[in-house]
Amino acid sequence: MSGDSPGPESGRGSEPSIGHAGGLEIGRRALTSPATVATAIVLIVPFALGWLRTELFSPLALPGYVIYSIGTAIGNAIAPRFEFWVYWVPFVGGCYGIAVGVGTVYEWVRARRDAGDDGTEANRSHSPPGNSDD
Amino acid sequence: MRRRSALAAVTTLAGTAIAGVVSRPGGNDRLLAAAREGSDDVTTETTQLLPETVHETTLYELTAPDPGPTVMVFGGIHGDERNGIEAAHDATEWGPDAGQLVVVPETDRVAVENDERGGIDGDLNRHFPAGEEPTSDLARGIWDAVERYDPDVVLDLHRSLGIYGFHREYVGQALFHSADAHAHGRAIADALTADAIPWYLPFHRFTPQESTAGGPLLFQKAAAELDATAYLFETTAFLLNHATMTEQSRLVTAHVLAAHGGLEYDTGIGVAGTGEPEQESETEPDGGTSA
Ligand SMILES: [Zn+2]
Repeated sequence: MSGDSPGPESGRGSEPSIGHAGGLEIGRRALTSPATVATAIVLIVPFALGWLRTELFSPLALPGYVIYSIGTAIGNAIAPRFEFWVYWVPFVGGCYGIAVGVGTVYEWVRARRDAGDDGTEANRSHSPPGNSDD
Repeated sequence: MRRRSALAAVTTLAGTAIAGVVSRPGGNDRLLAAAREGSDDVTTETTQLLPETVHETTLYELTAPDPGPTVMVFGGIHGDERNGIEAAHDATEWGPDAGQLVVVPETDRVAVENDERGGIDGDLNRHFPAGEEPTSDLARGIWDAVERYDPDVVLDLHRSLGIYGFHREYVGQALFHSADAHAHGRAIADALTADAIPWYLPFHRFTPQESTAGGPLLFQKAAAELDATAYLFETTAFLLNHATMTEQSRLVTAHVLAAHGGLEYDTGIGVAGTGEPEQESETEPDGGTSA
């Protein structure tokens, strides 16, 4: 899920720890991190399939099903009369929010690990073992 | 990264399809086969209710050779709830093993034809106040037939837009029943859940719920005035398609028939025979052990 992630590499290799600028960088990277994309897919796609065709519901849809259903239950309690498809907007937004949270943790762990390595290694690659050129 | 994301998406799709096929409950083909398996000795008669009026609709009377309960099933009291209409039409081809199965698939014919909830006089299921005359021509015509058959059991098939106890304004995935049907209501709801609700759709599990007596609904009037054991079934359009809602409506009809002796079929989970209900009730005062 990793490898050719975009973004400037400058100034990162020599950082001993994750400073303020590094935090911003992590947050920015988390918006499109592979972990973010993967989490959003896992939450949304299996549920969307079941929503399109009941027969396609599966155990993989459970996380999206729970998030969407609870969203509609809350929405129906505070603002009845909305049709349920309206809840797709907050559902997708909520799933993306959760995914960015996962992506932030992922990017933070990656940055920590890179910062812990010696400078040249960290400067060369942010990829996990096996994806780098070693 | 794009290629990998695409690969992940494709993998997810494939996994979803496979996992869904493998782990979905298979309905209850044996029960429905038992319901459909008509003996040659079952006789079917049809009658027109409210003949020569705009409300004219067909009643099907299926009589088994052996004595048994009279079970009345209604679809289309709300004309846009197609699941109940279709399931009731199917039931007109069934073969009860004992007693009589009396079916009115399109109770509010005008509403059914307009594909709307209510017909000429609005919502038919508010026209049956207990202890009083029904409040519309259609309701009087329907109630005449109910009194004529004096059923032991009444089942009315519906669908809601949300889920009972979960979406505040909706009543789906529930089996409302008269006060005499705690054990049956719980057992049938559990049986439906086991047949039709996979574990990964937990909010769709069926809830049995005693109905308040004395309301203006047909099944409430039948319970109050004719001492019938009465059920009102609600599936939901929330995340379920027409085929799924219709299958659930068929299953509840067969389970009710079996639970009351109209079908020789033991579901094995406490409905018609020896089995124990799978779980004890938290909300039911008598613990589900008495009828
Ligand atoms: Zn209805």
